[in-house]
Amino acid sequence: MTWFDLLFGAHGWAPLLLRGALTTALLAIAVVPFGFGGGLLLALLKSAPSRLVRVLCEGYTTFFRGIPDLLALFIVYFGLQALIDKLSHAFGDELHLELNAFVAGVIALSVVVAAYSSEVWISALKAIPPGQIEAARALGLDRRRVFMQVVLPQLGRVALPGLGNIWTILVKDTSLVSTLAVMDLLRAASEASKATARPLLFYTVAAAVYLVVSVLSGITQEYLERRANRGYV
Amino acid sequence: MGDFLGFLFNIDMLATWWPRILGGLQITVETVLLSCSLGFLLSYPICLARQSKSQLLSKLMLSYITFFRGTPLLCQLYLVYYGAGEIRPFLTSIGLWWFFRESFFCAVFSFTLNTAAYQAEILRGALTSVSRGQTEAARSMGLSPYRIARHVIWPQALLVALRPLGNELISIIKASALTAIVTLPDLMGVTRIIFARTFDFSIYLYCALIYLAMTEGIRRLWNVIERALSKHLALARGGGAFSAVAVMPPNEGAIDA
Amino acid sequence: MKIARVLSAIGLATALVGTAAQAKEWKTVRIGMDATYAPFESVNEKGEIVGFEVDYAKALCAKMKLTCTFQNQDWDGVIPALLASKFDVIFSSMNETPARAQKVAFSDVYYATAPVIMGPVANKSDDVSPAALKGKAVGSQSSTTFANYIQKTYPDSTYKGYPGADEPNLDLASGRLDYVVTDILVAETFIEKSGNGCCRIITEIKRTPDIFGPGVGAAFRPDDTDLRDMFNKAIKELDDDGTYKKIEAGYFKMDIRGK
Repeated sequence: MTWFDLLFGAHGWAPLLLRGALTTALLAIAVVPFGFGGGLLLALLKSAPSRLVRVLCEGYTTFFRGIPDLLALFIVYFGLQALIDKLSHAFGDELHLELNAFVAGVIALSVVVAAYSSEVWISALKAIPPGQIEAARALGLDRRRVFMQVVLPQLGRVALPGLGNIWTILVKDTSLVSTLAVMDLLRAASEASKATARPLLFYTVAAAVYLVVSVLSGITQEYLERRANRGYV
Repeated sequence: MGDFLGFLFNIDMLATWWPRILGGLQITVETVLLSCSLGFLLSYPICLARQSKSQLLSKLMLSYITFFRGTPLLCQLYLVYYGAGEIRPFLTSIGLWWFFRESFFCAVFSFTLNTAAYQAEILRGALTSVSRGQTEAARSMGLSPYRIARHVIWPQALLVALRPLGNELISIIKASALTAIVTLPDLMGVTRIIFARTFDFSIYLYCALIYLAMTEGIRRLWNVIERALSKHLALARGGGAFSAVAVMPPNEGAIDA
Repeated sequence: MKIARVLSAIGLATALVGTAAQAKEWKTVRIGMDATYAPFESVNEKGEIVGFEVDYAKALCAKMKLTCTFQNQDWDGVIPALLASKFDVIFSSMNETPARAQKVAFSDVYYATAPVIMGPVANKSDDVSPAALKGKAVGSQSSTTFANYIQKTYPDSTYKGYPGADEPNLDLASGRLDYVVTDILVAETFIEKSGNGCCRIITEIKRTPDIFGPGVGAAFRPDDTDLRDMFNKAIKELDDDGTYKKIEAGYFKMDIRGK
């Protein structure tokens, strides 16, 4: 069969690849609020007054940054479900929580991305001049408002390059979920290449799609950075 | 709670399985060291070609770097491993099949190409961080191009590149866990095998601790090396008068990409 | 203050973890399988899992008036995923071995077929003694009875384990492997599909009980004996009313029931 038939013929694999690509995109996008948000939370907790909290957060970051992402996914994917299951058993069946593979993948990736992004947030927090915070406090704003109205609006701009890097890591890391059970882009390419014995074709198609996403991400990031830095020469 | 800790850390596991774990560790270390050093050797020519005046050459290298940095390593590994299997007659005819037949070589091959792309960009960033004025100053003092490179550019560039290169080494250690997927019994691979035999979850945590020891060890070693090599800069930073010398741009490799 | 709150939360959580599981009324059952094992289970170009075990499991569910859903799960994670409640049953050509039986509860055997050794067509020799295979690359899906068989029988061969059951076949076709150990029907399906005469079945392997067990059963969490008993009853009913024979005839020329 020609490559065209294999992709777009009556039994072509293009629709499955397309669905896989959508799953990959959804996976990556769904991780952003939890992963980046979790990272910010970690960054803030690392300067918490309690020593225990600081040590726990440092330990978390060191652990998940220091082990292979594949291993981290596996530990979270199975460990977390075992824990949830035990808890939901205890609460009875009204509270039976079920993680499908996609949600579990989102959580597992978020755990890793939170560890990565916390470092970016920390350096972003450091980049905000303490004078500003002191000034805002002197104006009588409470800590919460200082954070929400003075620190947070500037944080995004400073953190943008680092977060952009992590986003590209994230897009590529979604492929690891294919080794669990999620029919993402790489998994779809894998199924197709095994069913047709044409790995070169299907993995090249998958690589091309990832490449397009990466290049587009790069362009978007540049645009956002330029926009965010208007007025800061 | 004791039950739960027992679930996490079962000591008997290590007593029974440590020879297998060591064997896996050895393969992991071999894969990483070989890929990283080959990648380092490749990265300089790639970096030069990337900055070459020939449009064709520099565009070619740019696409190479974009491809290997823009696609998942797992996808690259599949492409090399199963792709080579598909074009075996061709590879046999040009006498290269013996190489691609081995999963170890396939893994080292794809990791080398991947890390060379990253390291080339690190080198490029480091070389451009050394200000042009220094080259000009050195030339006006009559230094030969070789001595300019040897005594002016490289010492500074390598110092800038040190940290991102360390991060790259760490990320290759972590990425090496993927080789288990193409049949190589590395640390992750033997962990999976042991888990399949025992169904004991603690082996995954031991495996994590071994990886953690490697990556944390390198991170700390790198801190020591960096401090030792940049003593003069620390002085300059403190002194103020020479602070312009301390060209330490915020490098993108600060997070281990 | 804060620490006290965190500690009490942890205490509450551990207290809850200790509570025993409760019996439940089964209405929907989630079935997990590693769909790399055509004709028993594989993924088609629509992304659906199809094959003998899918049809059979559907018939069992219909008999029990259960709603069943199917999930794909890589083989390495299939038992952990069952134990972690990602699904409730494994229907994935899992042979009932003593090691597995310690972790999961098996249903009655619903099929038993012969394992085979497959080699390239170019290999004309039928000798599969350990001496003949010394130094050769022998592959299978890892964490399987096939893997155990290879490592036990051919300690002097190079063993290669793959995450999926279809990958060793591809490497046999490409020449990376000299031999593959797999199921007879999986081997036949692959040889027929590959069409280019790459490989042939060299010999059947005797199903020694210590390695291969009595046959293939569905696997459940040890607590869910009620669910297992429901399945056992349905397995017997499908045998008696001829449904098993009908589904089997749609896939195979031979009888795989193996009682």
